[in-house]
Amino acid sequence: MSNSGTKTEPPPAPAVRRGPLARLSPGDGTGALLKRAAATGGLVAVAIAIALIKSGSGLVVWQSVVTGLLMGGLYGLIAMGLTLIFGVLDIVNFAHGALLAIAMFIAFGVVQGTGLHPYLTLLVAVPALFLIGAVVHRGLLSGTGGASLENQLLITLGLSLLLENGLLMFFGAEPKNVALPGDFQFSLFGAVVSGARLYAFLGAIAIGALLFWLLRRTRFGTAIRAVAANGPGAELVGVNVRRVHTLTFAIGTACAGAAAVLAAPLVTVTPTLGEQFNITAFVVVVLGGMGNVAGALVGGLLIGLVEQLTTIYMDGQSSLLGVFAVFLIVLFLRPQGLFGRRS
Amino acid sequence: MSARKLAAGLGACAVLLAAAGCGGSAPSGAAGVAAGRDEGPVKIGALHPVSGANAVDGQQMRRGAQLAVDAINAKGGIRSLGGRKVELETGDTQGKAEVGQSEAQRLISAGAVGLVGTYQSAVSTNVAVVAERNRVPFVMDVTASDAIFSNGYEYSFRVQPGSAAIAGAAARYLKEVSQQAGKPVKKVAFLHEQTDFGSGAAEAFTAAAEKLGVEVGPNISYDALTVSDLTAQITQVKASGADVLAVAGYYRDSLLAAKAIAAVKPRLNAVWGVSNGAYDQPKFVTDGGALGERYFSTNYHFDAKNQQTAGLRAGYQRRYGAPMRTGAVLAYDAVQVIAQGVERAGGTDAEKVRDAIASSKVEPRTVGTGPIAFAPNGDNKNALPVLMQVQNGQVKQVYPAEKAESKPNYSVTWRS
Repeated sequence: MSNSGTKTEPPPAPAVRRGPLARLSPGDGTGALLKRAAATGGLVAVAIAIALIKSGSGLVVWQSVVTGLLMGGLYGLIAMGLTLIFGVLDIVNFAHGALLAIAMFIAFGVVQGTGLHPYLTLLVAVPALFLIGAVVHRGLLSGTGGASLENQLLITLGLSLLLENGLLMFFGAEPKNVALPGDFQFSLFGAVVSGARLYAFLGAIAIGALLFWLLRRTRFGTAIRAVAANGPGAELVGVNVRRVHTLTFAIGTACAGAAAVLAAPLVTVTPTLGEQFNITAFVVVVLGGMGNVAGALVGGLLIGLVEQLTTIYMDGQSSLLGVFAVFLIVLFLRPQGLFGRRS
Repeated sequence: MSARKLAAGLGACAVLLAAAGCGGSAPSGAAGVAAGRDEGPVKIGALHPVSGANAVDGQQMRRGAQLAVDAINAKGGIRSLGGRKVELETGDTQGKAEVGQSEAQRLISAGAVGLVGTYQSAVSTNVAVVAERNRVPFVMDVTASDAIFSNGYEYSFRVQPGSAAIAGAAARYLKEVSQQAGKPVKKVAFLHEQTDFGSGAAEAFTAAAEKLGVEVGPNISYDALTVSDLTAQITQVKASGADVLAVAGYYRDSLLAAKAIAAVKPRLNAVWGVSNGAYDQPKFVTDGGALGERYFSTNYHFDAKNQQTAGLRAGYQRRYGAPMRTGAVLAYDAVQVIAQGVERAGGTDAEKVRDAIASSKVEPRTVGTGPIAFAPNGDNKNALPVLMQVQNGQVKQVYPAEKAESKPNYSVTWRS
């Protein structure tokens, strides 16, 4: 680990940077990155063109692309928290989906109880999830019990089962709805865009940008990256590694909280809803390069598109089929993910 | 290393989940029939998913069955047996076929003269096998699949109209209602979830519609478990120029479809639910608000024009504080069928009860053309699917005319 210059303002991705720190940044040489981005973009364009031929209706394909991108932003936001936790703590958090469900029920509860605007519940759900994340990490994962990979898996998986069944017990299985007052829709060159989806997309992008800024431009972000790169090294230069771990885990779950509030008006809220997003989020994380926050956003957009195009290519098939086909191809060609580095 | 770690994790997760799924089912052996059937109360087994994702409906149905038992006891129990009381033995299927199977075995071993259940076709399929093997009648309340009734089972009966019957009726009603409205249907787009339930409904509807000279297409399916948006699919409907959209889905996805329809506003004359899990539910009206206004749905339904049904539902509302759903009314009917079988058989011998059920006639609380009476394959030949419509925030029976509470309004809100 030759990297000790993390205190300086980051220059545009120096090629000398090595090791897991790079998981937090998209760069291993801007040229190669651009090439890969161009190749990905090209493939997407070809995929859209084929979809156009297959369906024969420009409007249908255009609507699919718009819908896919809007949904993809949300997938990206969910995956960002997951990838952050993985990149810094090396923990595969299976409870991410369940925490998402918890946040949705918090949003639902607050809207029901106080009549607050659904988006204002961000002020409750995000801090709540931040706290839950911190408690979970401190209480369950940071001790010796959470040290080994097997224990981490069992703990997070067990936690997800516990949370889901707890929600089932307290709220029942009856699906709930969070209505967005004054929802509207408009036509974007023929494609219908609903306000709630647009807000969710923009919110996801904004939170992604905030997270990116936090990691790249603040002292705290620098500490996170230092811990990710080399824990003992960071400890030597005075970074409180355990605290950074806890805060990073908490930020990761807070991302799930934000995503949950933004998505709440779009979905039917049920205790088992986390499962639905968990699978997709894991695929996005691997696709974008594990630990790569910007990669997670791009991966999310890609998976959103793939889902929609799959329904055009193979009508009558689960959209997960296309998602996993793409997933396997990417793993085969680039095991480190589209925007990850070889480790 | 990282990819391997994740792969290992996912693998471990799959193994754990599989192990969790296998747990809890301890088959108690196939023997043990008729333990103490001749003394004490007459036991009727009720198998419903009272925990898990379908717990709300499962609870409803268990309570419906309980109300039937209470009603029988209030009238003096089984008269031919000197007024022996009836008792409900309950089992929780958890929505899982293998749990349903072991619970069915348990109830039979405990002395149940008959079983009612189970809300889910996959669970009913397994329970039907257990019932057949033990020669105990199994009266299904809610079970859509028709496949169970093509096996030549002698102990399986069903109160609700089957999936093909509903889809066929949906096609017939569509043709008739659209003609009466002066806007005869030309082309139906069919949106359905992709498992047996949705695909089966689409196939049966298409076959029936084509016999009536109605074109069906495009046929669009989706995965109900993962779908998060149906805007693109509804855009496809709009592009196809269909004048009616038929939807066969579960609650959550049908609500998503309604949201997408409101956003895209395709040029339709009607939205037509077929065995739809949402469009005839009062909850859909609450959740969807104005979205669902004037949606049609062809399905089994409690008989809203029957005074006794009204009394039953009022009693349920008083006792449990929630409106009684159709599933619960069907469970009520199913218990009545078994109780009357015992009454006519004059004993608790399961085979005699079976014969009595096969030839019995029971007044239903659900919509039918006559009393519940079973065809040789065990299906209720007088079950009648009914067309409903959301009108001013109320789910109303609108067709056929003799079951109608009000007239069908063949139109959609965004094109009037």
